[in-house]
Amino acid sequence: MRAMLSADRSGTLRLREHLFGPERLLVMAIVNRTPDSFYDAGLTWDEPAAMERVHQVVAAGADIVDIGGVPAAPGLDVDVAEEVRRTASFIAAVRSAYPGVAISADTWRHEVAREACAAGADLINDSWGGWDAKLPDVAAEFGAGLVCAHAGSQRPRTRPFRVRYEDVVQDVLDKTLRLAARAVQAGVDPASVIIDAAHDFGKNTWHSLEVTRRLGEITASGWPVLVSVSRKDFIGEALDLPIHDRLSATLATTSVCAWQGARVFRAHDVVQTRHVLDMVSAIRGDRPPARAVRGMT
Amino acid sequence: MIVAAAFCPAPPLLATPLNGAVPVLPELRAACREVAAELLAAEPELVVVTGSGENTTRLADAGPAGLASFAPGAGLSPGGLPSSVLIGCWLLEEIGYLGGRMLMSVACAEPVASCARIGAGLADEARRVALLAMGDGSACRGPKAPGYFDQRSLAFDAEVERAVRAGDLEALLRVDPELASSLLATGRPAWQVLAGALAGVPVETHVRYCDDPFGVAYLAASVRLRRP
Repeated sequence: MRAMLSADRSGTLRLREHLFGPERLLVMAIVNRTPDSFYDAGLTWDEPAAMERVHQVVAAGADIVDIGGVPAAPGLDVDVAEEVRRTASFIAAVRSAYPGVAISADTWRHEVAREACAAGADLINDSWGGWDAKLPDVAAEFGAGLVCAHAGSQRPRTRPFRVRYEDVVQDVLDKTLRLAARAVQAGVDPASVIIDAAHDFGKNTWHSLEVTRRLGEITASGWPVLVSVSRKDFIGEALDLPIHDRLSATLATTSVCAWQGARVFRAHDVVQTRHVLDMVSAIRGDRPPARAVRGMT
Repeated sequence: MIVAAAFCPAPPLLATPLNGAVPVLPELRAACREVAAELLAAEPELVVVTGSGENTTRLADAGPAGLASFAPGAGLSPGGLPSSVLIGCWLLEEIGYLGGRMLMSVACAEPVASCARIGAGLADEARRVALLAMGDGSACRGPKAPGYFDQRSLAFDAEVERAVRAGDLEALLRVDPELASSLLATGRPAWQVLAGALAGVPVETHVRYCDDPFGVAYLAASVRLRRP
């Protein structure tokens, strides 16, 4: 069953016209059009600042730019109209500036996803576990990709409260594979479906560590796996570090996930993440050394 | 006959194996241990551990509290009890209680009258019954709280605290289940079981902890009976 539902046999990931072979480890750069996200706290709230951030992350090697208008944490309500206002025209501007870069819309709402795809988004990044059942229809309509994430049973923008799992990895597999099947049934190209264990979403720190430790069981499903771990709470709690001191631990986690087969890495720190992923590719033998002179002269 | 009762918070972090390297909130744990110890000082033959769960049912007691579902990879045992009852069992084991216990899950949506009726029936379970009511006030007491900030949580928790401090258990039967549920106040069913168990019995209370360090209202209190 899993094999039948997996991305195409070549392992190519297709995000509209953007094709990525199975050996490619992709950096998805976070660009928040929010005044209150947990790490950047409004740094790219203004459109010129956001576009400057896009210029920087593309130059640093981002493969995908992930544009979001609503923070994951609970807070002031952002309705559909406001979310569209924050993201759609900006997506169009990025599309125009960088035709060769894949654009992801970070949203759980189908109305927003539709506007984002019409503006040029190639991927709908839903971190909230398919809360909006119409989201796959939008992805299918536009030939876009869809992220199928595990958020436990959390409503969007809620925090985990005393969550527990008999086996969190099995729950991740059960829910994400069900969402992936739903997406394919709705008409999404199987080569455009990504699954995401969604660290910290509906999970405590122990759960996110377990998901990281056993990520290979999730990548073994055959679907391309996205990991979004950048500076998250489970990293902070693992080492008792504040947000601004979590880069090294984020990169360690990224490396462990890449080694176990994850393919897409959502990141704040693009330069460093690019280096980590390229190094993992080099160690694996998927990427020749940039220069191999040592001992050869 | 009910011989003693207690209100006790039920956050998973009460169980030290779930804390990581450094124990979290040792003062809360100490208060809960004191409350549980005072409960046992009444020399019960049976301790009833009650708290909210998916269903209203008497639970099979499967031995030591299994905490693995909260912390995979920590070398803990599996276990399927509702969180509130599970943490109550852990607390009793922590203070070395090896006597009889009865585990009672009460559905989050259980009506008030039904909770009270369940409580009223507990006195007949043994000659000397102690009741440990596991659960918490609202989880919406600030922007960092699990349920974010809800202004209603302040008055809600204040009234529960007043009622417990005053030994006014009847007031706990007026706590609205829907409001409690919307404020993620897990303690409501257990409080009302306790109020039903001690209906008409004069009591005095000793509050040993009342605070909200993570935006969740924790209240630990002993309930002593003033029967002649």
